[in-house]
Amino acid sequence: MLFLLNYSTFIISGFLITVEVTLIGVGLGLILGILAALGDIFGGRIVKIIVNVYVEFFRGSPLIVQLFIFYFTIPMITGVSMDVMVTAILTLALNSGAYQKGYLKGAMEAVFKDQLMAALSLGLPMWKIFLYVVIPQALRIVIPAWSNELASMGKSTTALIVIGVREFLNTGISITAQTFRPLETYAFITITYFIWIYSMLKALDILYNKVKIPGLEPII
Amino acid sequence: MTSILECRGLTKVYGKVIAVNNVSLGIGRGETKVIFGPSGSGKSTLLRCLGLLEKPTKGSIYFNGVDVYASKQDLNKLRARIGFVFQDPSLFRHLTALGNVMLGLKHVLGLSDAEARRKAYEALKLVKMEDWANYYPAQLSGGQQQRVGIARAISMDPEVVLFDEPTAALDVELKWEVIAVMRDLAERGTTMLVATHELRFAREVADEMIFMDQGQIIEAGSPDHFFTSPNTERARKFMAKILG
Repeated sequence: MLFLLNYSTFIISGFLITVEVTLIGVGLGLILGILAALGDIFGGRIVKIIVNVYVEFFRGSPLIVQLFIFYFTIPMITGVSMDVMVTAILTLALNSGAYQKGYLKGAMEAVFKDQLMAALSLGLPMWKIFLYVVIPQALRIVIPAWSNELASMGKSTTALIVIGVREFLNTGISITAQTFRPLETYAFITITYFIWIYSMLKALDILYNKVKIPGLEPII
Repeated sequence: MTSILECRGLTKVYGKVIAVNNVSLGIGRGETKVIFGPSGSGKSTLLRCLGLLEKPTKGSIYFNGVDVYASKQDLNKLRARIGFVFQDPSLFRHLTALGNVMLGLKHVLGLSDAEARRKAYEALKLVKMEDWANYYPAQLSGGQQQRVGIARAISMDPEVVLFDEPTAALDVELKWEVIAVMRDLAERGTTMLVATHELRFAREVADEMIFMDQGQIIEAGSPDHFFTSPNTERARKFMAKILG
């Protein structure tokens, strides 16, 4: 495997791109997921329809198809093309947000039903109820489900190869093409993915145990 | 006596069900009134409307003589002046007993952390829960949780406290923990409107008892009146059933 040292800069750059798109995609997805969950809980009929169309589209179609739509189809229709990294992050965020909306809505409703009235009776306005009562509990409840999302998104970034993003797997393919040594290259990539995702999941486990509160176990 | 909280012709309809039908009542400063009646008689709905947690379908609610909905007052400011204790304590599970009581003090009344903490401890002391201040709701018994719920409501110094069957979900032993706290509050002159089946408590502390059935007030009077000679057959039967 020592020959891979010759490509270390290339490998590190690919790995960092994978980490970057995963974390930004899931992070933006969390914001989108919260907004979509709030829209689905509180929105009027039109908002609920928009949220559901969004969620069903992104959950019901393959990520690769979504990438093609955002990278090729939309620019063809609108005449506005986006940078490949922006397209990648936007698509991953929209995809992740659709899944996270489901986890977050369940977690919010679990908090919401039995405590909203109590918070309301104290005179708290709705935005403070969300800030101080709903969100702190929903985020704790959702951590285990969020771990799955992070692991799944980390692996899904390999799909970005179809629009030419120089992510980790893409660097491996390029190295293999130059060296004709696929066994060592892909073994290295697999092990790196495994260590990276395992570390993220362990970190979330530690976080979950740190913020865990008796009686506030996940319901999902 | 001028009423702090009053409703006139209050009606609340859910779909085709009339939960509360043309109810008028008022509660004056320092009074303790008890609403009782069978399950589904509209007690909880009436209290939620009076607590401004639900808007009545018809009728008016007056707080210190001002029509709440006609005057378009800030409902959150009014809610902060009306304490509410729920059947299920509905404590915020991510906060300790102290945190539960401090939340409204800090984020509604705008007290500093130190001041909110001091006031929250005072309220917890009043319900004999100061030793449990740092425990989370799941670590407390049902009776203890309900006492924290009461502390959370009274810590805001409300002008009136509404209790919605606060002992309904508790076993006999825990029930008396909560009743003792409510009795104590009544003796301190807290203005209270209590929906309950605990007629012994009602007899001890109520200035007036109100019997509801099918969304309407059937009869109102002193505890002695209900315990000796209720006017209506329905109230007589209900009293006999409850008292065995």
